[in-house]
Amino acid sequence: MLKTAITVLLASAVAPLVLEVKHPAGLDFTLQNSPTSQKYLIETMPGGVALLDYNNDGLLDIFLVNGGRVTNPMQTPESFDRSNPVYWNRLYRQNKDGSFTDVTKEAGLANVGDGNYGMGVAVGDYDNDGYSDIYVTNYGKNVLYHNNGDGTFTDVTAKAGVAAGGWSVSAGFFDYDNDGKLDLFVTRYMEWDTKHSKTCGGEWHTYCPPEEFPATTSILYHNLGYGTFEDVSQRSGIATKKGRALGVAFADYDGDGFTDVFVANDGMQQFLFRNNGNGTFTERGLEAGAALSEDGRRLSGMGVVFQDYDNDGRPDIMVTELPREIYGVYRNEGKGLFSYRSLEAGLGMLSSGSSGWGVGLEDFDNDGWKDLFVAQGHVLDNVEQIDPSLHYQELPLLAMNHRGRFERTDPGTGSPVAGRGAAFGDLNNDGWQDVVMTVLGGSPQVFVNPGGKQHWLVVKLRGTRSNRDGLGACVRVNGQTRFATTAGSYLSASDKRLHFGLGSADTAGIEIAWPSGVRQTLNDVHADQFLEVIEPEKP
Amino acid sequence: MIRALLFLFLAWQTSSPEALQHMQAGAEAEKNGRFEAAIVEFRKATEVEPTLAAGFVSLGQAYLENHDYGGAIAPLKQALKLSPDLRPAHQLLGYALLARGYAAEAIPHLEKVEDSAALGIAQLEAGQLPDAVANLQAALAKRPDDPDLLYYFGRASGLLSKQSIDRLIAAHPDSARAHQAMAENYYVLRQMPQAEKEFQGAIRLRPDLPKIHLELGLVYAGGSQWPKAEEAFRAETKLQPGNAEAAYRLGNALLQQGKVREARAELTRADKLQPEMPETLYSLGKAASLEGDAASAEKAWKKVIELEKESSLAAQAHFALAGLRRKQGKSEEAEREMEEFKKLQNTPSPEVPRQ
Repeated sequence: MLKTAITVLLASAVAPLVLEVKHPAGLDFTLQNSPTSQKYLIETMPGGVALLDYNNDGLLDIFLVNGGRVTNPMQTPESFDRSNPVYWNRLYRQNKDGSFTDVTKEAGLANVGDGNYGMGVAVGDYDNDGYSDIYVTNYGKNVLYHNNGDGTFTDVTAKAGVAAGGWSVSAGFFDYDNDGKLDLFVTRYMEWDTKHSKTCGGEWHTYCPPEEFPATTSILYHNLGYGTFEDVSQRSGIATKKGRALGVAFADYDGDGFTDVFVANDGMQQFLFRNNGNGTFTERGLEAGAALSEDGRRLSGMGVVFQDYDNDGRPDIMVTELPREIYGVYRNEGKGLFSYRSLEAGLGMLSSGSSGWGVGLEDFDNDGWKDLFVAQGHVLDNVEQIDPSLHYQELPLLAMNHRGRFERTDPGTGSPVAGRGAAFGDLNNDGWQDVVMTVLGGSPQVFVNPGGKQHWLVVKLRGTRSNRDGLGACVRVNGQTRFATTAGSYLSASDKRLHFGLGSADTAGIEIAWPSGVRQTLNDVHADQFLEVIEPEKP
Repeated sequence: MIRALLFLFLAWQTSSPEALQHMQAGAEAEKNGRFEAAIVEFRKATEVEPTLAAGFVSLGQAYLENHDYGGAIAPLKQALKLSPDLRPAHQLLGYALLARGYAAEAIPHLEKVEDSAALGIAQLEAGQLPDAVANLQAALAKRPDDPDLLYYFGRASGLLSKQSIDRLIAAHPDSARAHQAMAENYYVLRQMPQAEKEFQGAIRLRPDLPKIHLELGLVYAGGSQWPKAEEAFRAETKLQPGNAEAAYRLGNALLQQGKVREARAELTRADKLQPEMPETLYSLGKAASLEGDAASAEKAWKKVIELEKESSLAAQAHFALAGLRRKQGKSEEAEREMEEFKKLQNTPSPEVPRQ
């Protein structure tokens, strides 16, 4: 009797670990950001990570973006020594035993060009051939790699016309005109280069805030088909607003069937580009109540996720920021309006002393509510000297969602790091979401979910009239909603499959609103399976 | 004034027409700003008539006006040798000595003429802080907006305060007050871990000291450690239930944690204790809005605007009202509030700079 009581007490006192840091064999990447005393801003901003199944073997692979070698000071013309293997981006193929093999060279992804310093990655099947393509953003020229379907990639940037230039950061594929071809949105941070760099903070000698440099425009590329894109930034209205964009996420916030764009800007108002449905966008952040903090203050927007955290069927927005600001939670109230709900959601307690970057809303405990994961770590590598209460290296934030209110739980690591990018997906196909987080100057952290007893369902979309991966679809499962996307977070691309925790339910009802306008319903679907859903050819 | 007195004095003192002639020439040169010429003339007057105290005073004054404070000292001392009670000589010698850094020597001369401003400065420089504060305060009563006096008074008061605190720390290093004083110093220097440690040290010794929990709470609030801040502010409100700031801070700490109902109750209490505090009203509006009480939120924010007019807090209230109007479907009113917000948006805000 006593023994039973003690066991019960112990069980209730020790919360189960939701995530555990693992070190998969073969994943030997180091993010080379190359910090110098010049305090070039690029040094503190990389790098991205993507979870994708590039070879369609059913296992998620990992693509990691590297920075480059920064000399002190930089010479002209700028060279980041990217031909040196130390500075390569890396593709790791997952093996059946959970280990990884570096396939960068054989995949044709070895050298991204000496003039580029790496930032982020976007993933999408832009030519609908069934193989995920990779777009790498850089300080310098961006690169589009076409997946040849045989384990190799080809640099098709020139033909596609998507090199951009300047300082690109997060990017994402989405189909803004519902023509079945994925378009490409590329955020750019500011007008900055190493020649016009400077330091700030007086005696502290540190990185400058974004206000010190001119704002710039983001880029929208329209997919024309046949492997080519057209820059429609001006025509679409995207280029009418200059920002200091770091993050981008997509969802149809007003339910009009067209995917809208949220851009996280650093040190200024956030942008919500409403898709007018005619190839143009109107920036409505202020009018919609999603541009500033509750007190009308500008935010240091960095990462962003555009998913439904309160299970009301409407996509909400979460923006990660610097300390003394609270990560922004903008609840979608319907009718095109958002309300700032950070305090009610518990983010005041969780975030106001931290700096957030990559972010995801994923149901880690499969209870039917999306939980929050944030990669954290301050921008300034000497911030402790300036304010000892702030930290360059932090633990990531893992907070469980209790009916719309988040509560911190053990992130599965006790070692603070300078976290940046974060991508989400089910690495080991056990039905429980995992995370890969990038670390400045270090190895990526792989958070593996040990799982539990709750049920789950993973939906893989296969578009026919819509784009092949169904990006932009709105999928409802047992009262939960996910918007199909690989974009969001910071610099990163997540698994395209849609994961749902089902709690104790062993069956599910699925409703899919495809970007083409087709609606599809599936009833009594068994739980605990990976289900491929093919879009009906006819509505 | 000094010059007029000197000439009255001179009229009955000198017996030499030549000395008088040099004195007049010196005065004329001085009047025209030709101080070096004045020095030459006054020096000749003192050479012609070495017992002429007024001549030495004039010579000293000319040196002072020529910013040659060292040169002024000898003739002024000679004047006092000849005429020990000569007030202008004491005053000018006091200025000259003070300007050359001989504050302690200047003090007796300035005391003679009861020049509270210069005396206060000299006492400050000589480290006689209580007397300096008293004299500078007296001088400020006559010239309340004098920037030099305001500066010296501030400095003297600060040093006196520091002296007292230093004495406290030296004499009673383990006392609660010493810990509190050190904590406050660390807080000003933004050295929060040390401030927290010292405040906790003080609280361990005297948990009933007024304001100390409030101060510790501010350390936690500055670091966004809201549960700890709540605990500290709550302790202060128990000690001082009539302290409106403690109630406001507690309400705000609760609000930051999303404990809306408790926050609203505490902010309402703060508002009753000290009505029309804009910060309290603004937070009260937030709490009411989060509870869905739009009417109370509107009332509180409108009051903020009425009180603050064009401050950053007024801008925030306009922004909050715009959000409220949007939710109510009153888009035109929302637009108007946004326009007001945009007009005021660049008003400097006291928030912590970006780090």
